[in-house]
Amino acid sequence: MMTTMRTDGMRRPQKSCPFCEGRVHYVDYKDDRTLGRFITDHGKILPSRLSGVCARHQRQLSTAIKRARYLAIIPYIRGHQA
Amino acid sequence: MTRRYEAVYIFDSTLEDAAINEKISRFHGLLQSPDQISVDHWGRRQLAYKIGPRETGYYVIAKFHATPQVLPEYERAMKLDDGVVRYLITLFEHEVGAPPMTEEELANARRQDDDDDED
Repeated sequence: MMTTMRTDGMRRPQKSCPFCEGRVHYVDYKDDRTLGRFITDHGKILPSRLSGVCARHQRQLSTAIKRARYLAIIPYIRGHQA
Repeated sequence: MTRRYEAVYIFDSTLEDAAINEKISRFHGLLQSPDQISVDHWGRRQLAYKIGPRETGYYVIAKFHATPQVLPEYERAMKLDDGVVRYLITLFEHEVGAPPMTEEELANARRQDDDDDED
């Protein structure tokens, strides 16, 4: 009987880190356009399993997003009626 | 030993430009920086959320060398100043990376990802 064996189980192929591809050494907290790609519609930090960001850059990114929030460059929450 | 720092100030946007410049030079006088302090004025900008009654702020970014000992006095001056809505001092001792990817490069990367999926 012919069955195709999947050696990798049901795993998705590894996404490549957008910061590594761009040769970014440091994620800048002042760059709201870049940070905006890594937050959800509500303003949450996007998990790296969705964005493919590597661990090192995800750590930098999370610090950068928190700094940018403090400086009112990006919102803490979006779509919330006060 | 001096270290390199980056500071962001958010001033009250109702202040005159001259008053803002005067405040910046007063703060920077406290730093006793050995070399020129680079100051980048972003100008008036919409805040992402309201800070008290304010909806806009005047952003200024400064990069400087300073010894850690002078920072508490410098920070105290900003805390006491009513014209400063917010400030952030961070260490600036990383390598300067390449500019972020352009839209075109991103599209290429995305296409490659899609190709991988088909295997």
